[in-house]
Amino acid sequence: MDFKIRAGTKDDCKDMSRMIKELAVFEKKGLDEVKTSHEELEKDGFCQNPFFEFLVAEVPEEHKSKEGFRVVGYTLYYYTFSTWKGRAMYMEDLYVMEEFRGKGIGGGLMSKVAEMGKKNLCVRLQFSVSDWNTPAREFYAAKGAQDITEKDGWHFIRFEGQEFDDLAESAPKD
Amino acid sequence: MDFSIRAANVEDCKDIARMLMELAEYEKVTDHVKVTQRDLEQDGFSKNPFFHGIVAEVPEQLKTKEAGHTKIGYALYFYSYSSWSGRAVYMEDLYVMPEFRGKGIGKALMSKVAQLGLAAGCNQLNFTVLNHNKSSVDFYLSQGCYDLTDKMGYHCMRCEGEALEHLAQP
Repeated sequence: MDFKIRAGTKDDCKDMSRMIKELAVFEKKGLDEVKTSHEELEKDGFCQNPFFEFLVAEVPEEHKSKEGFRVVGYTLYYYTFSTWKGRAMYMEDLYVMEEFRGKGIGGGLMSKVAEMGKKNLCVRLQFSVSDWNTPAREFYAAKGAQDITEKDGWHFIRFEGQEFDDLAESAPKD
Repeated sequence: MDFSIRAANVEDCKDIARMLMELAEYEKVTDHVKVTQRDLEQDGFSKNPFFHGIVAEVPEQLKTKEAGHTKIGYALYFYSYSSWSGRAVYMEDLYVMPEFRGKGIGKALMSKVAQLGLAAGCNQLNFTVLNHNKSSVDFYLSQGCYDLTDKMGYHCMRCEGEALEHLAQP
């Protein structure tokens, strides 16, 4: 299938917001768990020190989705730092609409992220996958990704909500 | 114990480089460390930095027995993003020199990262821990966080070296 991968623009945030909700449903989350609006994505992705960058996959008019969308996939990523290895990136989301899967679009998006990282001298790309998502795990393994939770025992830890606020509140006063 | 926490400046990179090697020794990965003091200076203090740092300092009279260091702990963090929740902060490193542990410095550093994140509009603090690092895991869980890997089944994935080179082929 003919498709193009390009940098996401402010105008693409509406499509990305739509697909973020679709990804949430796929990840077995309620839509009420998606708090970001397309306006927030526009603000946070295009401010002076953007919190993220994103790429979209676009198909020509004749291949648009059943509902008429031409932007059919995206990946959202940001730059990070490993104190062992240096500059790195984190791929937060990778998503292709169901009717466009199996055509190399996901692979194309992920490769483009790696290519962008290489230009910025990044030496590592990290992301996460749900343990039940077998097709994704197989896809990533085929690309040479290592599961460092299984291999080394790395666990993701999170503070949010009241616990995050309480932690911030307990910081020493300047 | 009397200590202060402040934003790292470029002059602190020498001490941060020293302490990150100590942390690497603790995690038994010293031969994996490629980052130099120069890398920290360039990547932490450029126009669009890859990370930010805070350091914990003690007064002169409490400096370390060996080599007389007053910078005795640090945290490195950067801003990240959740497409569901928005702005977030990721704590890459948290370290306190062994002779200064058990005095609330680690907790103070972590709280400061959360405070800075909150001030920047973040609503999550994320990090990773090795699940066999029992004292760290216990410390973190006692502070009110939760283990996403245990709870939600999220696995950390990594591409580097040849696999990353291959992936980056246009």
